[in-house]
Amino acid sequence: MIAALRAFGDRVLGRGEAAITVPIFDGALKPNQMLADAEIVGQFDDANDIATDGKTLLVADGEQVVRIGDGGGTEIDRFDRGITALHALPDGGLAVALAGEEVRIVGGPSGGRRWTDVGGTPFHAVNAICSMSDGTLAVTDGSRDNDCAHWTHDLMERGANGRLVFLDRGSGAAREGAQGLEYAFGACALGAETLVSESWRHRLLAIEPQGRRRIVLDRLPVYPSRIVAAADGGFWLTAFAARTQLVEFVLREPAFRRRMMKEIAPEHWIAPRLRSGQSFLEPMQGAHLRTMGVLKPWAPPRSYGLVIRLSSEGTPLYSLHSRVDGVNHGIVAAIEVGGFLYMLAKGPGRLIRLALVDIEKEVAA
Amino acid sequence: MTAPILELRQATKLYGGVPAIEGVDFSLVEGEIHALVGENGAGKSTLTKVMAGVVPLSSGTMLIAGREVVPRTPLEARQLGVAMVFQENSLVPSMTVAQNLFLGQEKFYNRLRGIYIAAQQFLQSLNFDVPPTATVAQLGAAKKQMVEIARAVLHEARVIIFDEPTASLTPEEKKYFFDLVRELKRRGVSVIFISHALEEALLISDRITVLRDGRHVVTDDTANFDRARVIQAMVGRDLSKTLYAERKAHVRPPGERVLTIENLRMAPMVKNNSLSVFAGQVTGVFGLVGSGRTETFKIAAGILKRDFFHGGEIVLRGRPIRYLTPAPAVRDGIAYVTEDRKVEGFFETMSIARNVYMGLLAKLGRRRPLVLAREAEAVGKKWIEALNVRAIGQDVKVVELSGGNQQKIVIAKSLVQEPTLIVFDEPTRGVDVGAIAEIHQLIDRLAEQGNAVVMISSYLPEIMARSDRILVCRQGKVVEEFSAREATEEKIMYAAIH
Repeated sequence: MIAALRAFGDRVLGRGEAAITVPIFDGALKPNQMLADAEIVGQFDDANDIATDGKTLLVADGEQVVRIGDGGGTEIDRFDRGITALHALPDGGLAVALAGEEVRIVGGPSGGRRWTDVGGTPFHAVNAICSMSDGTLAVTDGSRDNDCAHWTHDLMERGANGRLVFLDRGSGAAREGAQGLEYAFGACALGAETLVSESWRHRLLAIEPQGRRRIVLDRLPVYPSRIVAAADGGFWLTAFAARTQLVEFVLREPAFRRRMMKEIAPEHWIAPRLRSGQSFLEPMQGAHLRTMGVLKPWAPPRSYGLVIRLSSEGTPLYSLHSRVDGVNHGIVAAIEVGGFLYMLAKGPGRLIRLALVDIEKEVAA
Repeated sequence: MTAPILELRQATKLYGGVPAIEGVDFSLVEGEIHALVGENGAGKSTLTKVMAGVVPLSSGTMLIAGREVVPRTPLEARQLGVAMVFQENSLVPSMTVAQNLFLGQEKFYNRLRGIYIAAQQFLQSLNFDVPPTATVAQLGAAKKQMVEIARAVLHEARVIIFDEPTASLTPEEKKYFFDLVRELKRRGVSVIFISHALEEALLISDRITVLRDGRHVVTDDTANFDRARVIQAMVGRDLSKTLYAERKAHVRPPGERVLTIENLRMAPMVKNNSLSVFAGQVTGVFGLVGSGRTETFKIAAGILKRDFFHGGEIVLRGRPIRYLTPAPAVRDGIAYVTEDRKVEGFFETMSIARNVYMGLLAKLGRRRPLVLAREAEAVGKKWIEALNVRAIGQDVKVVELSGGNQQKIVIAKSLVQEPTLIVFDEPTRGVDVGAIAEIHQLIDRLAEQGNAVVMISSYLPEIMARSDRILVCRQGKVVEEFSAREATEEKIMYAAIH
């Protein structure tokens, strides 16, 4: 009763959960142009994830896995459905998620294993796979209601049924590590714990094997996605869109949202996008800035590109940005290979890269 | 050029031995609009207060129409033809426009109808569209400004000084105000115009005088200035380099995000302000007067309250907070070291020890219902030593200390609470050079110990020398962030003004 009254009060006064506020990009998240200036390695029609076997870069593009070499891309495997997550196993072979509904291992000692459900609940939106120190696979299943391609629907429906799943490659056993996550999108080992991105809560959780959760990083101004370990300690966290007050407002207006989802084409919803500026029908948040005494129109970005470098404790150290005037938006994956940081910008369908030494130099400047 | 109507020669004004203005020469000719620009603390207000008789000169001379004068009160200055329109207007809100106009000129028997008729005629002669029967509280900022101006003209002021007249005006009101100023000029009235908005100074004035560190830097025709030259004159200081390093050699990396402010609103000062403060760093906050920097952190510390509806969010270590009083903020480890130490910082007739102990009691609250004299002495002694307070003993009243030592007591009163987020608001204002260095060392030490330190300062060299990251506020919000490596005085000032 008290909670309901408080929620009502918050809604009237615009406080607490009803506060339409967005954290600012400042400190380590201060915007720059580094992603916008990144080298373009390749263009892909339907790339969803990247991985590395330690030597070369692998790209999951539609139904095929492509190895990126000096001479370009070479297909090394092909499946019957689209790949939504890709992971190169430390002892050889690949783990792939197919259409978000099946996790399959190809090659290596545990090749041939496959999982389609855990505890009787089928996979629906598997979007990231990583290896834990004991060889177990940690898998994030974003949503039970919406598949990977319909992540916007999940956000607008305020989905909260994502989960973290552990798959034992040796025995084939599977168990849930956590459930009720608001779009789990990305996992990475942190000792015995698993770091998990919870996109709709804008935070990074550390989840113990027993399921106890600890907030590592929260109130991010973005929707975080996959997370990978950096070679010299710490992590790279990608984010596929930036939060805006307009979207936050819409997320707090269920009636408006329902009507919008019913009557308007999804590409024109007031929702974050992986790319923007394609149509004049796209909704914009009107705003203005006063510069040198003159009011100038301005709109917050509908799409954005961001990669955050985290310390081993999860503290942001610096970040790489593609801002509202950039193209390399919708970053969904990043990984270090051969002295470069490769990133998948799903918005324009680009694989881009930056030399790690250049990043360090730019950050130190 | 015609003979000056008002002139200051070698004007010096000391506050407690510290010069606010020093050896300033200034002249104003008839029918001239003269802009006075400079950073906060440059001496603009002091200079104009001297002219308006609010404060007397310590040395130097003031001449009006070639005759040496010494106005001791604003009334005397007004009788000499100098009137000042303050930023916070001096009208009585519950009285009508006409009553305000004739305030101080009442006769033994006053006929209200006669006053209204006289006021109506006078306002019409100025082409001011203000009803004389309206109460001042009902008027908007621009109309109040008009009444102030009318009052100055009514008193036959030959010189009218405006202190930040456009700060609270809308663009339309500003345009109207500029028309009024031009009308005054046409009537032969001389105008001194203080503004932080350089484009306004460049737009309306005939000449510009730049002050810096209480000294005259340059006076020239406005046509010879552009924005860059004014900013250069405002910030290019050599004096400061003797006291402050030009740039930090080492920038501390950010630690945990201690404080997050999201879309904070407190009308009319704070407008949708967002920022973060990190542990282990000194976050410098720069902005001109009225930029909302002090109010933002006073809200965080529970001293002021944000807007009731949609006032934004403040998050302390992941926990949303909304303090109604400062006490819970103190208990949560937030300390705010005030910019106005005499009013808000200490109890001047109480001893050093008792003042510092007061800080501890504020934190302990109900857990310490009794004042323990022995504990107060021990606490006072510890902090006198820790902060190197120069006093005969801890029983000395704070009012008897120098500005620097008073400031150390204010700081000790906060540090005794063992805060983890410390906000220093103008920590070295009115503080002697030796104490400045000690306070700066203390600020650095607190950051090195892993605390989150915020330093609000109007003094650019101080911001540059001490901050690991610099936030610039303008019109109620943070508009720019610089790392200590990339910041320059020109960049910071540009962001604060434009």
